[in-house]
Amino acid sequence: MAVPRRAWPWLLLLPTGIALGAVAFWPIVEGLRLSLTNTSLITQSADYVGLENYAGLWSDTRFWNAWWHTIWFTFASTLLETLIGLGMALVLYERFPLRGIVRAAMLVPWAMPTVVTSKMFGWLFDGQNGVVNWVLLNLGLIGEKVNWYGDPDTAMTTIIIADVWKTAPFMALLLLTGLQTIPTSLTEAARMDGARGWTVFWHIRLPLLMPTLLISGLFRALDAFRVFDLVYVLTGGGPADSTETLSTLAYKELFSTLEFGYGSTITTAMFLTEAALAAILCLWLVRQIRRVT
Amino acid sequence: MSTADSGRSRPSIDRRTLLATGAAGLATMALPRRARAQGRVEISFASASFFGNETFGDLVNSFNESQDRVLVRWLELPPPSSSTEVYQGLVQQLARRNGTPDVFSQDVIWIAGFAAAGWALPLDEFISDTTGYFDGTLAACKWDGKLTALPWFMDTGMLYYRQDLLDKAGAQVPQTWAEMAALGKAAQDAGDAEFGYLWQGKQAEVLVCDAVEAIASNNGAILADDGRSSRIAEPEAVAAIQFLHDSIGSISPRDVLSWDEEPSRQPFTAGRGMFLRNWSYVWPIAQDPNVSEVVGKIGAGPLPHFDGGRSASCLGGYQLGMNANTKNRDAAWEFMSWVSAPEQQKRVALNFGLGPSRPALFDDAELNEKQPFMATLRPVFTGATARPVTPEYAKVTLALQSGISKALVSGNIEAEMATLSQELDRIVG
Repeated sequence: MAVPRRAWPWLLLLPTGIALGAVAFWPIVEGLRLSLTNTSLITQSADYVGLENYAGLWSDTRFWNAWWHTIWFTFASTLLETLIGLGMALVLYERFPLRGIVRAAMLVPWAMPTVVTSKMFGWLFDGQNGVVNWVLLNLGLIGEKVNWYGDPDTAMTTIIIADVWKTAPFMALLLLTGLQTIPTSLTEAARMDGARGWTVFWHIRLPLLMPTLLISGLFRALDAFRVFDLVYVLTGGGPADSTETLSTLAYKELFSTLEFGYGSTITTAMFLTEAALAAILCLWLVRQIRRVT
Repeated sequence: MSTADSGRSRPSIDRRTLLATGAAGLATMALPRRARAQGRVEISFASASFFGNETFGDLVNSFNESQDRVLVRWLELPPPSSSTEVYQGLVQQLARRNGTPDVFSQDVIWIAGFAAAGWALPLDEFISDTTGYFDGTLAACKWDGKLTALPWFMDTGMLYYRQDLLDKAGAQVPQTWAEMAALGKAAQDAGDAEFGYLWQGKQAEVLVCDAVEAIASNNGAILADDGRSSRIAEPEAVAAIQFLHDSIGSISPRDVLSWDEEPSRQPFTAGRGMFLRNWSYVWPIAQDPNVSEVVGKIGAGPLPHFDGGRSASCLGGYQLGMNANTKNRDAAWEFMSWVSAPEQQKRVALNFGLGPSRPALFDDAELNEKQPFMATLRPVFTGATARPVTPEYAKVTLALQSGISKALVSGNIEAEMATLSQELDRIVG
């Protein structure tokens, strides 16, 4: 019964440790283990093959194609969502009639299941009956109907637009909470000294908002990196592989061909890329935050 | 002490009574079932759940009632629209090699894989005469020269055409792709139809079907007969893909590059297209006045072919397989042959609208009366062509989807087919 005092904290942490290990740590280790085997449900093989899968991955053009698409999607959607979200947050911070309702309504796109968003954008950008083509044609901006999802030049852009529509409100919400932590006394003092709106934003609000902005951007980037539903529903990776991302590629490898070994190699590469991305962004973030505080 | 005793024993008697009554009740409930199963061999049948006027469970019940030797339990898998999940479910069960399910139904494209893995038992010892089935279906049911699946029901790609527009042009149903393209172009120029030809070019399974039809109708093939090398870079295949590519922008809208079945069906039933390549499901929709502008104006038949070739239609549908590890081969065969027999195929055709794999059924008077469209499918089914028969089909199809999509988008057909051919050789070689 005599548990040493020093052991108690560890004992109490044990259940959490086990739970986290089982759901977070173990799957990663298992994925890593599978990636070093040629496990396949079809051939029933499960032998250790060392780094063979990784060598194959290195020279797999499908993988690098998907890798670049995923990086581009992450970069473009995060940047746009942060900028648009910032704009929305600044507007929603001001007092105006029905602000409560507008703030609530703004969150609707974010609350929608992504599959529903995907179907909706599928119809909006439909080449034949889509309202986007109709509007652009009537405004004279395009000469003929554009086949948004059938052209490698526009398919990924269209998916990015759908993602921005869905997630910018979430960024706005995060940034709004950031704005509300900035003491009003600072902005009031600046105005007393004659600072205009732009100066107040640039020299007071933006620097103080920077930590929130960067952390939200980091979250968003890590989330965007996993993009699956939009691509799966809208294009299935096509046309000509132009919208294939790492998640959809891994899904095909894991669940269509049932190659668990090579599929896990793709997901492990995804994990490593994302870890590197997180590390770089975190380092940068810490430096930025140190500079402003 | 006695009071204490009785006090203790009263609830125990009650409990005992309760238990006894309960057990008796359960026994009564279980009795008929047990009596029915007495002396019968129990086997299981796993299948994707198709829906119609009844379910496959009803079919299984009819079998159980029709005889007293075998009792089949139906293991319901997801619907055919979730085909990846059905595939996973079957693979997981078969890979255990414990004999469950004894009988299963499989999409034609999985047959070679299941056979090569040793999960599907060759059926040649049970059946010697297979003349009652369509040749194309039998070909898809074979792996390594052995019949490893028993034909059940099928669907294939076919050509839907606007009879009213053909009549207006004074033309017959086109036999070759060139005739079809000319008729489609003329109808477009005359303003009778917005699109000459509607098909499916989305990077998805259906693109492989459209490609198989075009290539096979030019005497080409995706893989060699033994399934071990690619033939997709040969001139026949290249010319077929070239035709599909050239149709885009002339008789087909650019949208076909992002269309699978439904988006291509919609303009046709809205009266905006002259020809459509699609599956049999389109027919009832096209004849429904609530959603269709072309009721009574259309016909369906075999797809066109190239000069010197013959019409080919991509074969789909679910065929029956026996688990190689089953402990009850005879019982499994009894159920399989029953469910594939003419009477049951007719019932499946009538109640589920799924096409029989036995040509003779297309002469059946009741079937022709209740499903008149199905009667027209006989010539289409006769040209049924299998997708590449290889145990590596899952990888082959992903490579095909990507490679053909690239060819259609870029227009560099020859170069893309050469790259694709190398990739296919690497997968199946």
